[in-house]
Amino acid sequence: MREQLAEVWRVFRRQRAAAGGFLALAVIVVASPSIVVLTGIDPEAISADVLGRPSLAHAMGTDYLGRDILGRVLHGVNTSLLVGASVAAIALSIGLVLGTAAGFYRGSIDHVIMRAADGLLIVPTFFLVLAVAFIFGGRLSFVIVMLGLTTWPQIARIVRAEVLALKEEAFVQSARALGAGDAHLMFREILPNTLPPVVAMIALLGSSAILSEASLSFLGVGDPNVVSLGQMLTSGLEYVTNAWWVPGFPGAAIFVLVLLLNVLGDGLNVALNPRLRRGGV
Amino acid sequence: MTGVAWYVAGRLLQSAVLLAFVVTIGFFVIRAAPGDPVLYLYGAQNISAETLAALRQVWGLDRPLGEQYWVYVTNLASGNLGYSQINREVVSAMLARKVPNTLLLMAPSILLAAAGGVVLGTTACRRLGTATDYVIGAMSMVGYSTPPFWLAILLIVLFASTLGWLPTQGMATLGASSRGLAHALDVTRHMVLPVTVLTWWYLAAFTRLTRASMLEESRKPYLMTARMKGLSEARVFYGHALRNASRPVLTVLGLYLGTMLAGAVMTEVVFAWPGMGLLTFSAIVQRDYPVVLAVFIVSGAAVVVTNLVIDLLYAVIDPRIRYA
Repeated sequence: MREQLAEVWRVFRRQRAAAGGFLALAVIVVASPSIVVLTGIDPEAISADVLGRPSLAHAMGTDYLGRDILGRVLHGVNTSLLVGASVAAIALSIGLVLGTAAGFYRGSIDHVIMRAADGLLIVPTFFLVLAVAFIFGGRLSFVIVMLGLTTWPQIARIVRAEVLALKEEAFVQSARALGAGDAHLMFREILPNTLPPVVAMIALLGSSAILSEASLSFLGVGDPNVVSLGQMLTSGLEYVTNAWWVPGFPGAAIFVLVLLLNVLGDGLNVALNPRLRRGGV
Repeated sequence: MTGVAWYVAGRLLQSAVLLAFVVTIGFFVIRAAPGDPVLYLYGAQNISAETLAALRQVWGLDRPLGEQYWVYVTNLASGNLGYSQINREVVSAMLARKVPNTLLLMAPSILLAAAGGVVLGTTACRRLGTATDYVIGAMSMVGYSTPPFWLAILLIVLFASTLGWLPTQGMATLGASSRGLAHALDVTRHMVLPVTVLTWWYLAAFTRLTRASMLEESRKPYLMTARMKGLSEARVFYGHALRNASRPVLTVLGLYLGTMLAGAVMTEVVFAWPGMGLLTFSAIVQRDYPVVLAVFIVSGAAVVVTNLVIDLLYAVIDPRIRYA
């Protein structure tokens, strides 16, 4: 296991873009929340400097109420990171458990789980989340749960396919012969081995969750009590021609977060999938 | 019946079950919405409680939920998607007006992107590890990660506000002629920016997918056999590898074509394009539930049908697959 991890790290590090993305993301994940907590930035603090250009005092300028955009972008980034991590965690837990159960037990359990997954894959899930968030109110925790509940099929499908293959492997058969129970076989023997293809998926789930939350708040269905990048972008739209920095920086922040997560996901995919490593044609 | 017919019948049955599931979930989620539809429509007006109760009775809202569900399902079975009290129109007529507009936006974007993506992805794989590969890779990564609404705003600022070259809202200039060549040109000008935004993302997605599946194919031993037979490198690459790599590309193309009926809500909202996406968004905001439910059902059905067609097409591309 240790050697495998070392090998994965070696391949991952060699892809400069992915390693750079990982580093940049790590800096953001550590720095953005710490700056907000340590300096106690108030995102709602207004000033007389309305629609001020980016300057030494306000690196990203100020908005139509004279609020410091940098401070608000940091708060918004924290919200986005929270959304990305929580949605990925929810989708991952549901997807792992249901995918493993479906592949391990087959039969009617498999059938019910996979039909539910198919059902979620054919409805326009963004509309579903949009409609439900609008009807029941777009509290952030609610949006997070909704996004998690609609994205688990992607994980479940991969996990199920892996479990189907792993179940017949010699090490699982021998554990079964030694008298191991279903729970032990599923969660101790099989599940850890399904993780490599799933890990890369986590980063991609995080990035699509961030994009979905930004889209929801862009459409005005976000949580009014939370600073969100999508909301900053919408409310800044009318100033786009005379004060580009008001919508420009929040939009750029969403783009950078999504880009870094996608780059990271790609890099992990190559590092964890031995078939993608060797040269081609 | 032949084997293919049995296969199609089986798949259609499966799809019907899936759609029934979608209808049921959709119906009950929307009925769980807080608030009384009658009060929402007429609560602000000065109407007596008796009249409100009579309205509930006329619309069947006083009957048990199970009965309402049954009425909805039987109506649906005869092609009746319901009536929008808010827009005072039959829902299927509302959808019929919007579907062509969405297709006009989505179909060119997806097809353009698929063609371009296959060319770029194949080129990247052909020149694996060279500067060309890296440039295509980096560009598709950026394209894949750009939030569509942000790109739309950037394009509006650049081409419409600053340069004043292109219209940014709607599908045609208000008051302009609605037929003939002038109209076609007008609509085309309105299409440029939204189609660019959509193609941007789809092109990146197809490029990444084609490169990945070509890479996967290019390691398989049958390519060496083809080379040993003395085939030219171009034959090996385009005749053998690309043919096999096209299966995942076709799958995703079908997925995108199937989901396009739901429209690109973000793009349609930003550009005020009168399609399914904008219709659904305004239906959600107006709490026009029959329309919301109809969009779910229609776009779900479109996905199911496209998936079936794609599966049948596999047999054409890959002689090993037979549905008999």
